[in-house]
Amino acid sequence: MSLNKGKPCRRVAELSLESIVGLMPWTYDYDLAVIGGGSGGLAAAKEAAQLGLKVVLFDYVKPTAKGTTWGLGGTCVNVGCIPKKIMHYAGLLGKSIKDARYLGWNLPEYTQFDWNLLVEKVQNYIKMLNFSYKVSLRSAKVCYINALAYITTNNEIEYFLNEKSYKIHSRAIIIAVGSRPFVPRDVPGAFELTITSDDIFSLEKSPGKTLIVGGSYIALECASFLNDLNFDVTVSVRSVVLRGFDRQCSNKVMNNLEELGVKFKFKNLPSKIEKCEREDKLLVTYTNGERDLFDTVLYAVGRVAETKNLGLENVGIIVGLDGKIPVNERDETSATNVYAVGDVAQGRLELTPTAIQAGEYLARRLAAVSSKIVNYNNVPTTVFASYEYSSVGYSQEKAKEYFGKENIEVYLREFSSLELSAAHRLKNERLWADEFDKEASPQCLSKLICLKSEDEKVVGFHFIGPNAGEICQGFALAIKLGAKKSDFDELIGIHPTDAESFCTLSVTLASGQDFRVSAGCGGGKCG
Amino acid sequence: MYFKLTSKYINTQIRNYVRNLSLSSHLNRLITIKSNDEFLNKVMNSENPVIVNFHAEWCEPCHILTPKMMELVQHHDSIDLAVVDVEHHAELVHTFEVKAVPAVIAVKNGVVVDKFIGLVNSDMIENLINKLDKKNT
Repeated sequence: MSLNKGKPCRRVAELSLESIVGLMPWTYDYDLAVIGGGSGGLAAAKEAAQLGLKVVLFDYVKPTAKGTTWGLGGTCVNVGCIPKKIMHYAGLLGKSIKDARYLGWNLPEYTQFDWNLLVEKVQNYIKMLNFSYKVSLRSAKVCYINALAYITTNNEIEYFLNEKSYKIHSRAIIIAVGSRPFVPRDVPGAFELTITSDDIFSLEKSPGKTLIVGGSYIALECASFLNDLNFDVTVSVRSVVLRGFDRQCSNKVMNNLEELGVKFKFKNLPSKIEKCEREDKLLVTYTNGERDLFDTVLYAVGRVAETKNLGLENVGIIVGLDGKIPVNERDETSATNVYAVGDVAQGRLELTPTAIQAGEYLARRLAAVSSKIVNYNNVPTTVFASYEYSSVGYSQEKAKEYFGKENIEVYLREFSSLELSAAHRLKNERLWADEFDKEASPQCLSKLICLKSEDEKVVGFHFIGPNAGEICQGFALAIKLGAKKSDFDELIGIHPTDAESFCTLSVTLASGQDFRVSAGCGGGKCG
Repeated sequence: MYFKLTSKYINTQIRNYVRNLSLSSHLNRLITIKSNDEFLNKVMNSENPVIVNFHAEWCEPCHILTPKMMELVQHHDSIDLAVVDVEHHAELVHTFEVKAVPAVIAVKNGVVVDKFIGLVNSDMIENLINKLDKKNT
């Protein structure tokens, strides 16, 4: 459906029973109402306004159980990607300090870490982004309303401001309310005493000894930076880490974290959490009866869309168990004029860039300047664990399932990053079997999954190592353009880097040969 | 509507006149803006040139610039310094197209005569202040 840009629409009262009852001629206040000021919502609102539509955007943050709240920008800006990346970097700096001492810098033997200073800097940065989003909405002439929106009809939204109720009418509505961390109610003490990723980035008290429940990328990323920042971290996983990701790579990510000091517990979740008054700590009882004291317990067991009080029943939208809204490839819901983008939409990748593109393309379709829809194939992603894991395309498991085991050839190499070898990184002390067993295992893994039937076209690219996120962005373009293994082989590497390993992968998984390089240059052949 | 505007204008003029009578000398002072009306009175309708400093608590360069501004303006009796917290004055931020902080705007006789954005060196700040002062004499 397209909207006449900004022109008020008048629906003349029809000569029918309805008109006798009193339907007034209808004027729309807005062409587009966006509910949710996160990655998807903001992108849609700004793009639509730029294309001449009259837009209103509602954003409201329901405080967490701990009372944490935040400004405009959504999950990514406030309690996701942005603070996570800054804390990830702060953690890496801790490791760099050790390397620095080894490589000649005269730094004190023990450097203290100030959690509150990091939180202050992170929050200042976030507030700067909140401000710039507000300014950009104003510049784009989008009306921004900081209130909870409630959908009453396909074209009407009700909201409360200063205890008064208001209604606006819009030709189209985009729901982009995202998702929030889920905390189980059947574990006594979990809801009242624990925190989630919504709270960690503004936590006033230093996290201390932390238990993270969950094996998702959110759990591992939090575990990573907390461990890097010298906190004692335990991760309690129900079954496997990084479900849905490549198994070999997921295990490698976990092994790297173990060597860095993170403790993992499998199939042993908290069954009860109590407050230990005497020591101001939390007493956690596991399903196998074990008990342990922690300063902080963080739940990262999944995210759900909070769509219960949105008024979806008024327009006949039925949500899934996780609260998400079913949509088609044009982001249409079952209700006319009502759309959904971002994490709230069922079946979508829960990523900021896909939400942004979905929001922008939808705005363009609504303004009738384009009919493009988002292509969700070959979307690159990164798990920002201490050693990042980045991938684009198929995991080994999905490739085997989709293309057939005989059709897949996996090329790989496991190696140490040059700088990290030179800096002589060691495993966490706790894991030293004896004084000779200090060496960290090679932390990098380069893997290409190729399709034999298509001249070894690369359908899966995986890399674990420092800066994996930056490295994968470039290679994602190659995968998008259909690169083959021969293209990678002919490409000349940049030396010395970790990424150049992809130019000289020769050992296949099927051959059974050892793909581990125990020492030497970053992935390539030296000299 | 026209009548309301006129009476507001008159009120402002009366206030200025009364202020002229009551103050024998223009004291250099730091003005903290709490409302749009206050901004109109103390900045746009001010007898003195005013330097408006758009400030944010979360902005570190602001915490360096504002004290510096206060220090430099001390030496210029006729110039006032107004500090506007961007979080509480969305309309002023929009009116003056402030996209980043710190932002400093020099206002004389209700007109913006100079501005700079970001932390600049003290020479630039001093030039802006001197320009305002010179025009006054």
